[in-house]
This record gives sequence, C-alpha cells and structure tokens, in this order.
Amino acid sequence: MINPDLLALFTTLKMAALTTVILLIIGTPLAWYLAKMKSRFKVLIEAIVALPLVLPPTVLGFYLLIAFSPQYLPGQIWQEITGQQLAFSFSAIVIGSVLYSMPFVVQPLQKAFEQLGEPLIEAGAMLGAGPFDRFFNIVLPITKASFITAASLGFAHTVGEFGVILMIGGNIPGETRVLSIALFDHVEAFDYAKAHILAISLLAGSMVLLASIYLLNRPNTSKVKSK
Amino acid sequence: MSLAPVSQSKALPLSINVQLDYQQFSLELAQDLSLQGITGIFGHSGSGKSTLLRIIAGLEKQISGSVTLDNIILNDSVKSQYIKTEQRDIGLVFQDARLFPHLTVFGNLKFAVKRCQNPTLNFEEIIKLTELGALLHKQVDELSGGQKQRVALARAILAEPKLLLLDEPLSALDRKAKTSLLKLMLHIQQTLQLPMLYVSHSLDELQQVCDNLLVLSLGKVIGYGGIHQMIHQLNYAPQNNTLQSNQTEKQTDDFIHQQTSLSLAVKTLDNGHGLAVLALNAQDEIYLPALENHNIDEKLRCFILASDISISLIEPFSSSIVNHLLAKITAITVRGNKVLITAVCASEKNSSIKDNAEMNNVIRNNVINSIDEKANIEDRDGQAFFINISAFSQQKLALSVGQDIYLQFKAGAVRTYLY
Repeated sequence: MINPDLLALFTTLKMAALTTVILLIIGTPLAWYLAKMKSRFKVLIEAIVALPLVLPPTVLGFYLLIAFSPQYLPGQIWQEITGQQLAFSFSAIVIGSVLYSMPFVVQPLQKAFEQLGEPLIEAGAMLGAGPFDRFFNIVLPITKASFITAASLGFAHTVGEFGVILMIGGNIPGETRVLSIALFDHVEAFDYAKAHILAISLLAGSMVLLASIYLLNRPNTSKVKSK
Repeated sequence: MSLAPVSQSKALPLSINVQLDYQQFSLELAQDLSLQGITGIFGHSGSGKSTLLRIIAGLEKQISGSVTLDNIILNDSVKSQYIKTEQRDIGLVFQDARLFPHLTVFGNLKFAVKRCQNPTLNFEEIIKLTELGALLHKQVDELSGGQKQRVALARAILAEPKLLLLDEPLSALDRKAKTSLLKLMLHIQQTLQLPMLYVSHSLDELQQVCDNLLVLSLGKVIGYGGIHQMIHQLNYAPQNNTLQSNQTEKQTDDFIHQQTSLSLAVKTLDNGHGLAVLALNAQDEIYLPALENHNIDEKLRCFILASDISISLIEPFSSSIVNHLLAKITAITVRGNKVLITAVCASEKNSSIKDNAEMNNVIRNNVINSIDEKANIEDRDGQAFFINISAFSQQKLALSVGQDIYLQFKAGAVRTYLY
C-alpha cells in the first residue's frame, strides 16, 4: 500500500501541474486582453481577477461548494456531462485552484505585455508576421521571464492552497487529500514528526522554486559587452 | 535578383483621401502621389507626417476615407475594406530601429527573409550592400545607433516590400552617421529601384536624397512637387504660421532657412586651387570647395542660404568672392524689415525672361497665394536664386522687378550635406 503522504504529494503535484497548464492557457489571452483593453470595464475585470488575493479562501470555497453541488446549475451541468458529482472531486479542486491562483499568473503576464507595448509587435507586422507568428516569435521569447515567473508562482501558490480545497474537496485520499490537508491531519492527530517532515518539505520546495525563478530571471551580468 | 543598378521602374501610384480625428489633432489629406525614387514628406512636429506613414502602413486603423496603392485598396472606410499590415507588402523603418532584442543581427535579418513570400534578393549581397558582414553575430544591444538603423534598413529591404517607408530614421544619429546612412539609402534606392517615402523634419537631409517633396502642415497638404521647386516654394512661406505646429513654438529647430536648392553637374573636380566647378548653364559656373568621391558630369545636390548671397549692381570683378552671376529680379517679397529677392539666372541660349508686366503680376508682398505661380515662372526661365537683404539695402539700391543685378557668394557658401 502506498504511503498516504506520498499519495498526497502525488495528488498535490498533479493538481498544481494541471492548474498551471490551464492557467497558462486561459490566463495568457486574458492578460493580453487586459493589457490592450482601453474600456472602462477593464478595472472591473482586473478587480475580479485580483479578488482571490484579498478574499478569505473559505469565502471563495464556500461559494464554489454551493455552485458545484448538484442543486445548482454548474454542478448539474457537470453531472450531466460526466455522470459524476463535481463537489469533493479532483476536478473540483483543480477548478477551485484555477480561480484561486488566477491573479498570480495573469498579473505578471499583463504587466509584461503592457511593458512590451506595441513597437516590436508593429515591427513584426511590417515584416509580414501575422498575429500568432508575432506572439510566438516576438512576444513569447521577449516575455519568457514573465511566463516563468507566472507559471512558478501559479504552481507554488496552488501547492500551498488549503482553505478552498478543504471547502470544496474535503479530505479524500488519492482524490482531494493534498499535502497541506495531510499536514493539517497530522497536526490534529498530534503526529508532529510526520507534520514536520511535510512542513519542512513544503518549505524547502517553495524555497528552491522561488530561488530558481530569481536565478532564471536574473540579468546576465557576466556577459562582456564589446562595442 | 541581381544587385546591379536596374533601369528606372515605373512609378507606383499612391492615392490618399483620409480623415483622422484625435482629441488634439486632426488630419485631413487628399493627395495622389506618383512614387518613384525617394519622395520626401516634410513638416514640423504635429504636422501629421508620421501619422500619414502609419496610415499607409495600416498601423492606424481608425480612419475615414481610403488609401490605394498600385490600384489596390488598402483601406476604405465606406466599403469596410482593410488589408492587414502584414499583408500590405510595405516596409517601414522606424525612428527607433525596433530590432528584436532576443535575436542577433543575423536573426533579425532572417526574420524578414523567412516571411518574404517570393524572395528574389540575395541575402549575402544585401549584407554586402549594407556593410553588415562584421556585425551579423552581434546582439542588438551591442550596436551603435547608426548600426542599428543600418540593420533595420537591411531587415526592411530583405522583406522585399514594393514600397519602403522611412519614419525619421536618422533623427537620433550624429552628423557622421546621418550622412553615411543617407548615402546608403540613396545607393540602395538606385540599386534596387525601390520607391521610398521618407519622412523628416530636416530639409537639408531631404534636399540631398529626395526627388519629390510633400509638405504637410497641421494635418493638411500644403504642397507637392519636385524637390527643388518645393524648397523654393517654402522660401515664400511666412515661417511664423504656415508651417508651424502651433503658434507658440519657438523658431529654433523647426526654422526653415530660405535657400536656393540646386542639382548641378560637376564640371571640374579640382581646378588646382582647391575648388570644384559646377555647370550652372552653358556659360555660368559655380565654384565650391573641392570634392571627393565624385565624378565629372555627375549631378551634385547643393544649396546656398539666402543670407549667404549678396547683391551688386555692377559686376564685382575686383572682389575675392569667386561666384558672381548676372540675374534678373523676378520677385521682391517684403516681410517687415527683411526682403526676399528672387532672381533668375538665365542661360544666354534661353534668356527669355518675362517682361516687367508679367513679373509684376507675381509680386504679392506678404502673401503666399502666388507661390506656385512664382515657382513655375522661375523653373521655366532659368535657375532661380533667393537672396535675403535688409529693407534698408533694398531702398538704397532701389531694386525693382525686372532689374538686372549681380549675385555674389563665396565658394564656401555652396553647401552640400552629404560631402
């Protein structure tokens, strides 16, 4: 039988990886749209995206729990399509994580797109590059550091999530029991030795991840410039 | 495509009929241009010259009206037609080069080549033409301003557009880099026969390379024609209002120097005294400091500031000033205590200068509604010269239209921006 903590680690990594991929797929066009948007509704969308930064996770978790239940439309639609209940499922914690970690991905990307501005994109268009060509061959390579930051922050924040998952996922081993919940379980059971192992692992993992981001995004000062 | 100079290609028709309204700026242009060689666009800050290039490039979408290039509709707000920038086959060299920082010089150039639909130019030959061989593997942040613009120019050419737009590409460069890039532009234009629209607020630069000139002021066209004719027309413009972007702007960088603009064949490169000689007409010559890198009979663009020419009523034989020419006054324009004299120096074989009655018709002191008329008469009858004198001198010499005078100016007053 697999060690329950290892299973929690696997569930956590799976959830965080999937969340990060989904966030990059939907967060990039959203950040692009916000960076280019001039409408007065921009502030409203920005506020909605940033809401999880200030909202207690339990508030978001509470409303998601209601929405995911079979009594309400989102939960009903999910159940009709998949035949499974959404609340207290792995899918529920991924959806909750996507919403909860959204600002950590969208905001760095939006800032990068705003700083990049139009000049280089216009230069690309003048050389015959279409919109996708311009994005993948100009925007993406130039804002690579911001994508690394966004993905890393989104991933790390998802790994550290607790409140939302507890509300909408509960504590089902192999399904919704992630590291932060497992740690909480050990503390509740006064198993401080196991709690220490998980806490130190999470701490060290987060440190390594953040240090890696800063290392990757550090300007290359060793390069000798010759004019 | 071979890079040997090709024969003169046919003109590229460009028709612009657009309106654009921003909060503090509006543009209303209706002009047909026949693009051949280099066409300059001149105007001061806020005149709309860069906006015009952006409209042609398709970067300014919120316009009313239409833009047609080579009989293809690029924009038409009535028919809701709009060809995307990347599909217009137009190149643009920006003021700030806009090289891609994540690519090397080679990468930037190849970016253009890869997206060219039907490449015909030889990459190596363009590198040679633009002298970029030694820079190919450098990062763009290692380049000087002049080198960056050279790469931007090469990159734009390698995309093989049918029209190249240049938006003040020299404005951030020092004089040496400017002359070097201007010579390169001229060489490229002559070698590839690529029509260019060149925006600048420097008349000196435009005078050296352009064949035609479009003059804009406050979002409107105020003139279009041959480069020398247009520069001469600008001499009559009241510089405090016609061309200025706003009334409070100081006459500093935007001040237009009244001048005589010339394009003359080199007759002698060094006459043994450090002077070169240009042929003005069958009998008259103009001396200027000796030139390098020029051939006999090659046309040279030069200009003489109106303030550098003086007038004498008798031929100044006993003067150290080498250039003195007989000319007939065709117009006297008084503006305050300054007087602009227009005088035509005619060849003996073609000295059909009009009589006083016709000349008097073109005198419109303090107004410019006869600019075209004046310029046309000058072009018909010989080389026009423009002279600034004080109202005091004008009264002292009792100058009048139709009078014969002698123009005198030093060899050093004949200036050329490129050499």
